[in-house]
Amino acid sequence: MDKKITIESIEREAAVMRRHVIEMGYAAGGRGAHFGPALSSIEIVASLFFKVMNHNPLEPTMTERDRFIQSKGHACLSYYAALVETGYITKDQMYTFKGDGSFLSGHPSRNMRYGIEISSGSLGNGFAIAGGMAKAAKIKKEKHKVYCLVGDGECNEGIIWEAAMNGAKSKLDNLIAIVDRNGVQLAGKTKDIMDVDLEALWKAVGWEVLIVKEGNDTASILKALEKMKNSQSGKPHVIIANTTKGKGVSFMEDSISWHARPLNKEDYEQAVSELENA
Amino acid sequence: MRKVPIERLQEWSKLGHRTVLGETLVMLGADYPEMVTVTADLTPTARLTGFKEAYPDRFYDVGIAEQNMIDFTAGLAVEGIRPFAVGLAAIVPMRPAEQMRVALGYMNLNATVVGIEAGVRFGPLGNTHYAMDDIAVVRAIPNFTIVSPSDPLQVHKALYAAAEYDGPIYMRLTGGPGFPIMYPEDFDFQIGKAIEYRKGSEVAFISNGALLGEAVAAAEILQTKGISVRVIDMHTVKPLDTVMLDKVFSENKLIVTIEEHSPIGGLGGAVAEYKAGFSGTPKQVFASLGDKFQKLGDHAFLMKENGLTASGLAALAEENL
Ligand SMILES: Cc1ncc(C[n+]2csc(CCOP(=O)(O)OP(=O)(O)O)c2C)c(N)n1
Repeated sequence: MDKKITIESIEREAAVMRRHVIEMGYAAGGRGAHFGPALSSIEIVASLFFKVMNHNPLEPTMTERDRFIQSKGHACLSYYAALVETGYITKDQMYTFKGDGSFLSGHPSRNMRYGIEISSGSLGNGFAIAGGMAKAAKIKKEKHKVYCLVGDGECNEGIIWEAAMNGAKSKLDNLIAIVDRNGVQLAGKTKDIMDVDLEALWKAVGWEVLIVKEGNDTASILKALEKMKNSQSGKPHVIIANTTKGKGVSFMEDSISWHARPLNKEDYEQAVSELENA
Repeated sequence: MRKVPIERLQEWSKLGHRTVLGETLVMLGADYPEMVTVTADLTPTARLTGFKEAYPDRFYDVGIAEQNMIDFTAGLAVEGIRPFAVGLAAIVPMRPAEQMRVALGYMNLNATVVGIEAGVRFGPLGNTHYAMDDIAVVRAIPNFTIVSPSDPLQVHKALYAAAEYDGPIYMRLTGGPGFPIMYPEDFDFQIGKAIEYRKGSEVAFISNGALLGEAVAAAEILQTKGISVRVIDMHTVKPLDTVMLDKVFSENKLIVTIEEHSPIGGLGGAVAEYKAGFSGTPKQVFASLGDKFQKLGDHAFLMKENGLTASGLAALAEENL
């Protein structure tokens, strides 16, 4: 997008996106929202939408756009926040999140008018579909990239590894996965539920792997994304980004209970005040 | 089987089927030492924390891996352990359908697969989280029994019945917070044996799951208009209680099948398939979620959209009489 984008400007956008996450989740009232999963992924999504990806909100279907696939679809609020800030979705629409008849469901529903590439939310499938999209770009000799956000718990799914093997075999060097390694899944800590060496696994299936120690640090994640975007390894790429679930709101950080739940007024006010004074 | 006091039933009604499931599994754990619980990263969602704490050695979380959950469950069952595998009805059975067919169905294993939040209970989460086809998928698998209990006590009793049942069961759970109590007192529950909940001569409502409450309310609306309605609680979709259906065919004029499922392959489909073998049977209409993906909305909104409310059901019956 705009050339004048700097790390500071992305950080400012990330801060606005965090506020949007809280606003949308609060607007959903008793229907609740997946706060933790969205907040851990803010810097990743902001870096993609404000700097790394070539896209145009005025032309959501332009052929040469880079594709963003949110395979961990339950974190849709970070995606929607980026779509609001880049101008795909209006603020009024944003407040319909999870409302009766709204198009902003609790998991993304394909809607090309608003920049939503695929329906996701059944874990594992978005990543495998991204593989097909990357292959399609190769078939059609198109130069764009496919960026796919995956959860670390989501990597429990067999289909992740089926698709990863296929991606390596098909030499999908236009596919860049980002694992949001926040260390918490639905029922507990990832290390308690399925303790695996993700780095070794991704390497074993033939992917180029990059670890980002501070996945909520914009400069670090941006550098990794740019590096993978320009890599000449010929392999598909994965960035394993260590993040904090619920990042930015103290009581949501590293919390299992804030994976998904309603936000009451008191907690909403506390979250807003923390974000405003950050 | 234990006696459940009315206070507990009221609490279960307030909290919905997940709480009944979680608490009943703990009781089953005490009563059946060979019984275990398996899940795929759903412990708090499916209210399994109590079981996990009570029986840490008999609780297995395979991670977010539903296909593995079913095959792992099958492996346990092959060796004589009695597993209850718990997943989201929207994901299990559809995702591991082949594992359910080949491992549980084909080998006719003693295992129970529980699908929580069936139908469109997950309203605002959207279509990826709606289970509108789960019965259809399982019904096509030979050997599977499918139970869709209609009230909190029936969920409890059905889980107990499952613990002693021969063959694989899919237990489809509906009924969230505000799950109507239809059976305040203990009652006779047998898998495969429908319950005539209300007598009536003209219309026959055949329902299952938490919609029984709406069906009975609709019958009362029609009663005030002088239309007599029989209500059948067909909690078991497979095998169907054909003795009860034969009675309905000979005694009622219109059948309305009522389910929080697609009209294809569910209770309505099962009744229609059986009915196709006879001439001169009553007309059947389907109250269902329709053959479509849904709009987004909360559960009450979607029930209304699809006419699955007392007034919607009453209107459907009246139009077709
Ligand atoms: C196939 C499938 N199984 C189960 C679920 C329910 N579920 C939603 S989020 C979640 C945990 C995801 O954990 P992770 O991938 O680590 O993402 P995080 O929430 O930490 O960002 C689960 C089990 C689902 N959406 N899809």
